[in-house]
Amino acid sequence: MAERVFLDGAAGLPVRVEVAQRMAELYAEGIANPNGGHVEARRARALLDAARHAVAGSFGADAAQLVFTGTASEALALAFHSEVRPGSLLVTSAGEHRGARTLAARHAAAGGAVRLIPLTDEGYWALSPELFHDIDGATALLSAASGELGAIQSLAPFISSWRAAGGGAIILDGVQRASSGSIRMNIGIDHLVIGSAKLEGPVGVAALVSATDRKLVPLVPGGGQERGRRGGTEAVVLADAFALALRLSQTEEAETAAHAANLGGAFDHALGAPEQHGLRTTGPRDSTARLPGHRSYAADWVLGDDLVAALDHEGIAVSTGSACLSGSREPSEALQACGLSTSAAQGGLRLIFSRTSTSREPVVAAAALARVSERIRVIGAAQ
Amino acid sequence: MTLVHATSTLPQGWIAAPVPSARERVLVALSGGVDSSLAAALLVEQGHDVVGVWMRLHSAADSVDAGRKSCCTLDAADDARRVADQLGIPFHIQNLEQEFADAVLEPFVASYLDGETPSPCVGCNTAVKFGALVGKAAAIFTCDAVATGHYARRAMREDGTAWRLRAAVDKEKDQTYFLHGLDGEALARARFPLGEMTKPEVRAAARARNLPTAEKPESQEICFVPTGDYRALLRERGWSQVPGEVVDVHGEVLGQHEGSAAYTVGQRRGIGVALESPRYVSAIDPRTNRITIGRREDLERREILLEGVRTPEGELVRGATLRGQVRIRHRGSLASGTLHGEGEGRARLQLDTPLWAASPGQTVVLYDAETLVAGGRVARGASQ
Repeated sequence: MAERVFLDGAAGLPVRVEVAQRMAELYAEGIANPNGGHVEARRARALLDAARHAVAGSFGADAAQLVFTGTASEALALAFHSEVRPGSLLVTSAGEHRGARTLAARHAAAGGAVRLIPLTDEGYWALSPELFHDIDGATALLSAASGELGAIQSLAPFISSWRAAGGGAIILDGVQRASSGSIRMNIGIDHLVIGSAKLEGPVGVAALVSATDRKLVPLVPGGGQERGRRGGTEAVVLADAFALALRLSQTEEAETAAHAANLGGAFDHALGAPEQHGLRTTGPRDSTARLPGHRSYAADWVLGDDLVAALDHEGIAVSTGSACLSGSREPSEALQACGLSTSAAQGGLRLIFSRTSTSREPVVAAAALARVSERIRVIGAAQ
Repeated sequence: MTLVHATSTLPQGWIAAPVPSARERVLVALSGGVDSSLAAALLVEQGHDVVGVWMRLHSAADSVDAGRKSCCTLDAADDARRVADQLGIPFHIQNLEQEFADAVLEPFVASYLDGETPSPCVGCNTAVKFGALVGKAAAIFTCDAVATGHYARRAMREDGTAWRLRAAVDKEKDQTYFLHGLDGEALARARFPLGEMTKPEVRAAARARNLPTAEKPESQEICFVPTGDYRALLRERGWSQVPGEVVDVHGEVLGQHEGSAAYTVGQRRGIGVALESPRYVSAIDPRTNRITIGRREDLERREILLEGVRTPEGELVRGATLRGQVRIRHRGSLASGTLHGEGEGRARLQLDTPLWAASPGQTVVLYDAETLVAGGRVARGASQ
């Protein structure tokens, strides 16, 4: 296979070498079930405890506040089911990813009320006083940044208004911002969801960090693991790897962000004005306000899936940004919430440069995107 | 029943489509069935650069239980993906729901409501598989050719300037009837790797290659009517069933029917009228909501008016005459006849021996030796 350019890191990055090596060593060593009464179990328990301390500590929490889960979606669901009462008010944004939208849709279907925070044309929350009316006992379910649009939300104005108006628990999805150092429990949130896969750690482990006064209702009762909050034998090696990946990504955050932002700039330069390729930029216009290295576009003359397929064929891995079922032509709700037409919202494209991206990749990717756009538009026009 | 053409040689001046000498970039439409799986495998073995695509055409079959798999369920997409993985070719899902709705679903419903018998597979092949998909193949995957698992062959004029469909070797499986809408340009880009094989040979070849779809049963129903009950689809699409009169060929009322769109010309069961000898639906008039029934011989036709008639080179012009063997249903018997062009896509078909139960909307094709030289639809009121 020709050399590939992987620009879909917002959906998950390959495990970084140091982490993979550490995992291989631990698997080779043979890590036991941490719940036994022997040396091997204590070794496993020590690794798990260390990982729990490290991950919780990164967000200003104690180890006891953290539950390891299998995925971020599971962590989100655990917080959701613990907090959201049937029939209550749920406040969420129009730009949430599918995991959160599904929870909101189920709440609404069961008779609950859902209030959507609208988005600005750049994908930021458009806060207004009405959003905070009658929110006593309401729950907020929000992402710190949009993986689809690259918009980093400013949390403080929302949290202060929410608290001032007597709102209930805030569940924050921090998956896209876990390495930034900007999210800690003391900013006024009740639950924080973080995952390993987007930090170059393994898929299959994530965590929910909860404020000390929140009680979790387990989705899987099981055998009392995770203090009775999630049943099932703990995945010690995955937790250890998650902690390592998080530590490395936080340590290198400034460097990684600068590298990704530079490559994003090089991509902009190589692509030229997106409009000449029939594309419009979605999300924040100021690229320095985006997730580092994140670029997103929409086209109203092609399905996003078709652009993804055509770029894949050219050796470039990108995404539509909205985690739709493959082959569905459902428009992106986030893009529609930004004011895009249905056809443009079916034509979303997202790419993101990351730590391991090389300096040739922006040039190669921009050339491929220009070529593919040209080809599809010419052939489309001929039909 | 005659399935075999009177002569199996090609017409004067026509040759079998040559095997491509150079490596081609070919998109293969994988349905998740055995035929398209083997078609892909053969292309890979011939050294071509192959891209596998499964088309999402509609959601009709999504909720149907696994016992009634058709080519259009997500299970079928999984099977197609497994085949692509085994062959080591790229695999993509392409959404053609809009194109399918416009070219197949809507006309299908409209046709039944209009008292006709539609041939949805013809529209799908013409407008979707060898229409929109060909465009996508070029635009997205830079493929010049589109291959399917159809049982069909191609013939080329000796000088390479024109193409025709040619019946498959396996006369029981030949699908040229459903492919008649492909024009010369589409035929130049079409690839039918199974055209020289029989179905048992295809099965055996799929087994020999351990293809995961080797034992999959044939799908018989219309893919978007997985339960086989097209009336349910019509109801979903706003058909309000109004009972009407069943009359005989003289106009005498014999009984009541359940709504004219629920019937097809040639239908015998479910008419609800008991007479001493079998009766068949011979005509459907949606305007009066009236169904005419008759004896078997009342449905025989020696002359049929056609519309939408095309040849691989374009429209059949007024005054043009084509002589050949006629088929009015898939795998139906062949009858000799002559087609007289009347302009604007209309033509009069004169048959040497009568054909039975030609229903408006139904596809009619004409072969010269084994090559398909014209196709069209039975016109409304044409055969009465």
